Amino acid sequence: MERTVLSHDAVTVEPLLELDAHPECGGLALFVGTVRDHHEGRSVRHLKYTAHEPLAAKIIREVEAATREKYGVPYVRVVHRLGDLSIGDIAIVCVVRAPHRAEAFDACRYAVDAVKHGAPIWKEEFYTDGSSAFVEGCCIRDDLDETPPPSHRHHSHTSHG
Amino acid sequence: MKTLTFELFANLERLAGASTCQVEARDDVLTVADALALLASERPELASALDRCACVSGDSIVRRADPVPADGRIALLPPVAGG
Repeated sequence: MERTVLSHDAVTVEPLLELDAHPECGGLALFVGTVRDHHEGRSVRHLKYTAHEPLAAKIIREVEAATREKYGVPYVRVVHRLGDLSIGDIAIVCVVRAPHRAEAFDACRYAVDAVKHGAPIWKEEFYTDGSSAFVEGCCIRDDLDETPPPSHRHHSHTSHG
Repeated sequence: MKTLTFELFANLERLAGASTCQVEARDDVLTVADALALLASERPELASALDRCACVSGDSIVRRADPVPADGRIALLPPVAGG
């Protein structure tokens, strides 16, 4: 059975750690992204994640495989939550098991960034004033160079996550 | 003539007020770029957002120069913001 990478239900961290496996590993890096109550000065009440699920799942699995390959680590696991989330809910979990801590930290950061920038997932924030907006993100077209867009591809990466 | 179906996500879905939109295409609409130009002319409210969309057929990104997918379905993915 293929492992879950997109979850419509609350994400539980513990089973993703695989602590009873990978005896050759002495390092475990864990990143958990949670829903924050503010964004660019606005007060956030809750948010909703939607995705193009077939491509998002494929890309997350590709990121897991690419991260294992790039850092030579045996276990990389990413799960992204979809649906309606409240403040403090888990949005994304990334676990890396590695022989040593250095590659565990590096691989974990790489995988989280790659999913955020590449998987077709959208965050709609609902503010305390009753309005809502989609967080501006990264263009994932891969043929942009042939027809340059009027604006640059990336907006502030620090604003999401 | 054939019917093209565009699947809309995130702000594009909001702009259109629907999750899909259909347009009738003449036989000279051959590439994804042709299909997008047609959509932009039929639905001008979407036009300015299309340039930064990735186009997807099934679970694969298709490029502007690629032929229109055989099933006539193109998903339009605006800039992403997961995590």
